[in-house]
Amino acid sequence: MLSLETKRLIIAIMSFFFLAALLIVGYVEAKRSIPGQKPKIVISDDNRKCIECHSQPGNATTLVEQWKDSYHARLGVGCLECHAAEKDDIDAFDHYTYTIATIVSPKDCSRCHKKQFEEFQRSHHAQGGKILGSLDNVLAEVVAGSVHMGNPVAVSGCKQCHGSVVNFLRNEDCTVKKDRNGIAMIDPETWPNTGIGRVNPDGSLGSCAACHNRHYFSVAQAREPDDCGKCHLGPDHPQYEIYRESKHGINFIAHKDKMNLDKRPWIVGKDYVAAPTCATCHMGATPNQESTHDVGMRISWTLRPAVSEKVDAKDLKEGKQTVPWEKRRENMQDVCYQCHSKQYVQSFYKQYDDVVILYNEKFGKPATAIMSKIKAGGLITTDVEFDEKIEWTYYYLWHHEGRRARMGASMMGPDYTQWHGMFEAGDRFYTEFVPEVREVIAEGRKHGQAAAASEVEKLLNEVLNSELHQWYAGKMSPEEKAARKKAQEEFKKRYVGN
Amino acid sequence: MSAIKSLQTWAKESFPLDLDVLKEMSSEPIPYHLKRWWFAVGGTPLYLFVIQAVTGIMLTFYYVPEPAEAYNSVARITNEVPFGWYLRSIHKWSANLMVAAVILHMLRVFFTSAYRKPREFNWMIGAGLLLTSCVFGFTGYSLIYEQISYWAAVVGTNIAEATPLIGGWLANFARGGPEVGANTLTRFFVFHIGVLPTVMVILLVLHVVQIRLHGVTRLRFDERGEPGVGLSISVSAPVTPMEFREGSAGAATKEEKSPTFPFYPDHFYTELIIGLVLTFLLTILTLVAPAHLGEPANPLVTPEHIKPEWYFYATFRWLKLTSFAIGVIGTMIFVLVFIFWPFIDRWLVRRYPAKEISFWVGVAGFAIYMIFTLWEAFV
Repeated sequence: MLSLETKRLIIAIMSFFFLAALLIVGYVEAKRSIPGQKPKIVISDDNRKCIECHSQPGNATTLVEQWKDSYHARLGVGCLECHAAEKDDIDAFDHYTYTIATIVSPKDCSRCHKKQFEEFQRSHHAQGGKILGSLDNVLAEVVAGSVHMGNPVAVSGCKQCHGSVVNFLRNEDCTVKKDRNGIAMIDPETWPNTGIGRVNPDGSLGSCAACHNRHYFSVAQAREPDDCGKCHLGPDHPQYEIYRESKHGINFIAHKDKMNLDKRPWIVGKDYVAAPTCATCHMGATPNQESTHDVGMRISWTLRPAVSEKVDAKDLKEGKQTVPWEKRRENMQDVCYQCHSKQYVQSFYKQYDDVVILYNEKFGKPATAIMSKIKAGGLITTDVEFDEKIEWTYYYLWHHEGRRARMGASMMGPDYTQWHGMFEAGDRFYTEFVPEVREVIAEGRKHGQAAAASEVEKLLNEVLNSELHQWYAGKMSPEEKAARKKAQEEFKKRYVGN
Repeated sequence: MSAIKSLQTWAKESFPLDLDVLKEMSSEPIPYHLKRWWFAVGGTPLYLFVIQAVTGIMLTFYYVPEPAEAYNSVARITNEVPFGWYLRSIHKWSANLMVAAVILHMLRVFFTSAYRKPREFNWMIGAGLLLTSCVFGFTGYSLIYEQISYWAAVVGTNIAEATPLIGGWLANFARGGPEVGANTLTRFFVFHIGVLPTVMVILLVLHVVQIRLHGVTRLRFDERGEPGVGLSISVSAPVTPMEFREGSAGAATKEEKSPTFPFYPDHFYTELIIGLVLTFLLTILTLVAPAHLGEPANPLVTPEHIKPEWYFYATFRWLKLTSFAIGVIGTMIFVLVFIFWPFIDRWLVRRYPAKEISFWVGVAGFAIYMIFTLWEAFV
């Protein structure tokens, strides 16, 4: 039994605890986001000066308004937290007593987002700017564009996705040119640019704004398939269209309101169950693994080149240490298992692997081998790309149709696997590539390159007489012929005969 | 000074209260055993009721009792109204704690035989308070108009319909028609904010008046010297309050020498501590488990699992185990036995004076209630 003194003490302690609990209630209330009402934001005295000026009409006011709606603003991460620069930064300039830079690089973002920065820097995305030697670049800078006219195709096309090497205009003495306000002048051929693999003046790679658009920096927006669709679309890599065709995409559109896209963290199976987006499978958190900004960590095949390889093959050939493809596939399957059974997932991967292997064996490898032999024999020019029809045909075969088929299978897009993919690859191979190879052989013989032409002819015949192509020479096996005939008759009976 | 004096004079004239009477009223003698805090929780339901009245009035400012808007208004309270989530959560948790506190209080009264003569009527008032609390919970739960609470109302009124003789009338009266709909919501709302609070206040006043008239039941304890055994309440031969008022000659302990202590300040402090603990606990509960909001009611889709509030779990399980009619009749018999228990107990004591039948009936009844509640909770 307690004395009066003890009771008074308990009353004092409990009053304190109760008040503390009420303070927590007040904190929860203050932090609570109310639908239809803008959340409270934090503006420091320094940032207030920026905002006052940039709220004047015509002075990029929308970026301030967007920022006010951002999560950054709620945390008090404002203009100077991102744009502040060191005096000796190449792009630094004095702006109303503050030293700032226009370009905010991933290195700047890493002050707060260290993990994301490190993951991104080692990712395939970060390497996106290194495309200068690719065939695609020849097409943009030589075939479709011209370096004599400022390289506009590559600048406004390729590099807006892949990223540019940010350069500065220079004076004759090589110093950086500045405008009358003392602001470093960035080469307009290299900036504005928010390409995923931009090479920044501070050496860091990429641009966080490629996915997290300025100045909302919205995590929800970056999780939208449309965000990835800025670059991953079109005839050569239609991942966005394939996703929209897939069950995943259909579910996303139908149930977008249940996706909790702005949830932190965003764990599939826990925070949302309606559908996966690109971010879910390639980057998203599961109950077993954290989210990652290294987008290659769940990919097992390379679907980009003429012949697909397991994703670790190149590194292994070069003797580099890498994460094995099996581990990457395991990572991806962990995402799949949040919604599908083990048998379902394993069977899907069998279907996917089968398409990739078929494409490789039927079109990718033979066409690549034939093209190599044609070039090795000097039957077409080797120093100029795309000056011969067969080079275009081969390019379409693997770069467009071949990729579409493989990517279609990888993301459950049946129409892209067949009609936009393997069907068109077949059409291209049999009706254009093979006749053009024969023309090259004939031309070679006409122009005294009989030996080289015969080598190519021999290889072509080997290809066309192989099991995968023998139907084309009318050499289908009797069993296969009988099976086809039977299937055709049944089809006719069902749809034509009656 | 003269201004203060004239103000005092005015106050005395306007409120001619006798301060000595007030002092006497606040110095109600309290039995010594109430110094043990666990005997002082009878006031807990009253605290919780006051909290519910205050938060309930605030919630009523925003609640709209019509089917099309009820759910939305609760959603607005939860998501938009400043501190709405806190008030709603406090209201919900204090309702749950109130039912729990009333049950615990009645268990204490039962097992200390404090319902015996002359307190039979006060036990019945207490039983009325528990039943009123349950109806409060049922109507309040239904007002949310989310899918699960809507269907709980449907099941609840269907059960009422199975009451012999008056079932049809009772269900129709509660629903305002053959189905749960707009009329039901209006009626439940009127009951929840008008009828039930009035009934509750009347019963509470009667309950407290009875306590003041009879005095708090004094209990006798066995003081055992063995370590680890401590103090145990004498249940087999409880002391009636009248006996206790006469005092016990030859008492040795301080407790028995001075069997009472004044209400203020000692007991007042105890109650204040309990009040502070309760409000703190409620706030923590609202932070850890705030009242959530499920899917809106859909009269066309019956949910796979319908669950009432936890204090109806035992009844719900019982109804599932028996036929509907037997289930309802059984429940009615249980309620009647519960209300009139002091008279049944008196008959049992007279018939079997040497046996502790009431004690074992209480143990069995509570054990069955707990088993059924847990069974329903985990199925």
